[in-house]
Amino acid sequence: MRKTRLSDRLLQISTMLSTLVSIVGLGLIFQFVLSRGLSLLSIDLFTSNYYAHNYIAELKPYEEMTYSMPNFDDEDVYVIERYGLALRQGIDLAGNGVVEVEYVHPDSPFNTMISAEVGVDTVDMNANNIIDRISYVDHPTSLSRRGAEVMASELNDPQRVINQVFFADLGGGIRGSLITTMWLIFMTLLMALPMGVLTAVYFNEFAPVNMLTKTMRTFIETLTGVPSIIYGLLGISVFVPLTVALTPAVNTNLIAGSMTLAVIILPIIIRTTEESLRVVPQDHRAASLALGANKTQTTFKVVLPQATQGILTSTFLAIGRIIGESAALIFVLGAIVRDRVSIFEQSTSLAVHIWSMMTDEPANIALSSTIALLILAVVLILNVSIKLSVYLFEKRGKQ
Amino acid sequence: MMEKVISVENCDLFYGDFQALKDVSLPIYRHKVTALIGPSGCGKSTFLRTLNRMNDLIASCKVKGSIQFNHEETYGNGYDVIELRKKVGMVFQKPNPFPMSIFDNIAFGPRQQGLKDKVKLKEIVEKALKQAALWDEVHDRLNQSALSLSGGQQQRLCIARAIAMEPEVILMDEPTSALDPIATQKIENLIEELKKDYTIVIVTHSMQQAARISDYTAFFYMGELLEFDDTKTLFVSPKLKQTEDYVTGRFG
Repeated sequence: MRKTRLSDRLLQISTMLSTLVSIVGLGLIFQFVLSRGLSLLSIDLFTSNYYAHNYIAELKPYEEMTYSMPNFDDEDVYVIERYGLALRQGIDLAGNGVVEVEYVHPDSPFNTMISAEVGVDTVDMNANNIIDRISYVDHPTSLSRRGAEVMASELNDPQRVINQVFFADLGGGIRGSLITTMWLIFMTLLMALPMGVLTAVYFNEFAPVNMLTKTMRTFIETLTGVPSIIYGLLGISVFVPLTVALTPAVNTNLIAGSMTLAVIILPIIIRTTEESLRVVPQDHRAASLALGANKTQTTFKVVLPQATQGILTSTFLAIGRIIGESAALIFVLGAIVRDRVSIFEQSTSLAVHIWSMMTDEPANIALSSTIALLILAVVLILNVSIKLSVYLFEKRGKQ
Repeated sequence: MMEKVISVENCDLFYGDFQALKDVSLPIYRHKVTALIGPSGCGKSTFLRTLNRMNDLIASCKVKGSIQFNHEETYGNGYDVIELRKKVGMVFQKPNPFPMSIFDNIAFGPRQQGLKDKVKLKEIVEKALKQAALWDEVHDRLNQSALSLSGGQQQRLCIARAIAMEPEVILMDEPTSALDPIATQKIENLIEELKKDYTIVIVTHSMQQAARISDYTAFFYMGELLEFDDTKTLFVSPKLKQTEDYVTGRFG
């Protein structure tokens, strides 16, 4: 008697301990990603290019004057009132010291400069650009590795006349991968959603119940659990050659990526839609048929509209899967980060962007964590959307 | 001589090997209410569903014998089951409005027949709701979900939905079994009104209901039609002992 009580207690404790460990494990992921990635999170990250771009420029003729500058309450910022410019001593993603542009006055000669590049007239310097070096007439060049303080004091020297400015975009942005991910979501859903819903309708409403359809159903359910890298193999052996043959693509590309993802999410859409079709009351089908509607009308006018909720849920689940997929996409979409995205070319989704950066030397953990943070946030929003849509549909049904 | 809308002769019905109806012969007279009574599992609902061929949905179901609607064999070769169901409407045990607006529920049938004219649809909806004695309660909220109505209102909506197809016969499968007494009374009054324009066949578990509203009553037992007569005769002086036992509540 006592022994059973003890084992009962042990079982109970083990459930609590397991829960605790799971929660701690999941919490650690969030904690890691937040602590590593939050510092890089900014609008610039989403709008700027991944690759740095270098510029060489000369100043336009300008009038000597003293610019009124905003007050920077920061000891790493150095103000050059002569040019209306503020520089910051910063650290780049790889940990090297760099001179960042903190602020450019709207009237500053640095705001719009004459480009030394062939075929480009002017070039703008913006906050967050990085100054590599500035050369002067008859004076030694200011180098960024000597720090922002030295560069600022040299710029403030009225003896020096600027010859050329060498500066660069910061780079490291994820605009390209963001665009690729949106293309993937759009094209994948375009292919998989109608196909999946119609397949579910066939299985649930029209298909005869026999060995063949039962086998096909089991087959589809099995596909949900197949590792995605196997779909990647399918993609590289079928979809990549297919798109190369039919489109301007010459290599792995975004269309092939979407096709592969479509195959991956099809089982999800079929299953979720079928589940929601199954709970439509048989009475509604009977009522429709008794009113002289035929089977097709009953299916598409009475039954399918009631599955809208399920279809929406499956769409959200599918978007989550598309955003999170990486293994298959490395095969069929490529792992080269692109700033200019074309559906006929290689690029990276957000998840593959992480993979791409972590295989770099040195691995960029900070930016990877920021992207991970973004992906986690989107997945969280998707899950909340599912709950919200369920709630709204129930509320609307009762009105 | 009264006109038969539906005439059933020697009807046998099988679910696989199980015989659910045995040699049933029954006339349904125009503009009358025919009640089908009998203990659970006696085949009365099954019989009702043969009249608009709703049993077709069950794959293992086989029907033998003759069922004529307006002198045409409904189970004959090439008979259009859609046409039959347009002329023989049905109301189910549980109110089953579609999760759409009140208007769309009633317009559903005509719309599936290809009617798109909004003015005509409005006329049909209004007429059906008035005939189903629901117009006064819902005329100002036709765009609201049908699920917002009470159970009794939902059932009258289902009757209106059937009426909108302008059928000749309305089959009712225990239409009041899920309703409270007041809602039940409203439906019964409605049936009284409807029989001026329609022929009604109703399955019911309530002896009182059958006695109150029907002109003819058929007593089913174990898949057989034991007795069929005008309601008064069947309740007051039944020919069979079993019928008497059932209608007086001694079994069932």
